[in-house]
Amino acid sequence: MKVEAQLYGDRRVFTVSAFNRGVAQWLTRLPTVWVEGELTELRRQQAWASVFFTLKDPADGACVPCAMPRGQFDALRLGLENGERVHVYGRPELWEAKAELRLRALSIERFGLGEHLAALESLKRRLAAEGLFEASRKRPLPRFPRRIGLVTGNDAAAKRDVVTAVTTRYPPARLLVAETLVQGARAAAAIVEALRAVCAEPEVDVVVLARGGGSFEDLLPFSDERLVRAVAACPVPVVSAVGHEQDAPLCDLAADARASTPTAAARLVVPDLDELRARLDRARDGLGRGARLTLERHRERLGRTHERLRRAPPLLLERRRAALERAGARLRALSPRATLGRGYAIVRRDGTLVRAAGAVAAGDAITVEVADGSFAARVE
Amino acid sequence: MTEPTFEEAQRELETIVERLERGDAPVDEALSLWERGEQLYRLCLARLDAAEGKVEELARRADAAARAAETAG
Repeated sequence: MKVEAQLYGDRRVFTVSAFNRGVAQWLTRLPTVWVEGELTELRRQQAWASVFFTLKDPADGACVPCAMPRGQFDALRLGLENGERVHVYGRPELWEAKAELRLRALSIERFGLGEHLAALESLKRRLAAEGLFEASRKRPLPRFPRRIGLVTGNDAAAKRDVVTAVTTRYPPARLLVAETLVQGARAAAAIVEALRAVCAEPEVDVVVLARGGGSFEDLLPFSDERLVRAVAACPVPVVSAVGHEQDAPLCDLAADARASTPTAAARLVVPDLDELRARLDRARDGLGRGARLTLERHRERLGRTHERLRRAPPLLLERRRAALERAGARLRALSPRATLGRGYAIVRRDGTLVRAAGAVAAGDAITVEVADGSFAARVE
Repeated sequence: MTEPTFEEAQRELETIVERLERGDAPVDEALSLWERGEQLYRLCLARLDAAEGKVEELARRADAAARAAETAG
């Protein structure tokens, strides 16, 4: 259809409507293409003939309004929501009334997630069935690694974050950094090669695989079967520090430990030097205290023993004296004087004991000994 | 006779004390046991004093080394 212009002398002038129609017609010559973007501002109402949404470029925020006949949109049964990555098949068109450019969508596909998720899920199940993610395969991380391998993207941030976190926590740490592609089709093979190269270096006792956050597709190489197998087969323990907490690339499952931040990775691979110092100091203090306490105990025990030593001989002599006194008392009890005390008397004639009545005759002089002395007497 | 170790001296001292505390030792022997006991006590005490001096000396040296390391670091 030809767009007619009015002629004012030699000037051709279009009405607004004719101008818009002209541009719109010209636009129909452009080819039908696939456009990738993030679905936003999705508007769908029963009363409207079309469903409207805006496709946004996540890289720089560039936008293009889109429209799709409601019946067609509903027939896709995608249940799309704002924020999803989609591929839209369509052609540019002009909404003539407002001269607004938009993409007339003919078809929409959810990008990545669908097929990728299904493929990932089946790979995950297969590797899990092989036992690649078993807890029993996880190796303990070395407490004092001689060297730490760091496999990271050639973007500065991820590398700097891990290096800073490790050296802040443990300044003497020695890092060996292998930079590699981390995005795109060749990334997985490149990361596998970097991992192999780092492990081949002497004294590397642990490897950190680091990659900053990114979209689902950005992190896909870290779920690549080759890489997951390489991580599981790595001769030294591997810490996976890929993406953020919510990302779960398969290399996380095969790694010996996972860290959601560079700081967390540092905590896993190096000890805290300040804490080590403090513990050493406490141990040394304890050593001194222990030695002093041991000596103190020996001294107390020696003191008690000495006290017993001092008390023992006087006690022993005291007991001997008591025994002696008991013997003396018994001796005294056996002496004849005790008998005299009870009223008996000893009779002697010429110093000889008189034991029988016939031993004396009347008129004999005798001495009689009683308890308190003796007196002379004569036999009648 | 070689000098007994601290533990040997302590053991002998405690045996002597027990013997004396039983009270059945002849008096002459009790006195010589006491004398020997006092001798062993002085020996143990000297050993403890020496050990304590050594502990303090080591602690002083370790503190000095720690201070030196701090200044250097």
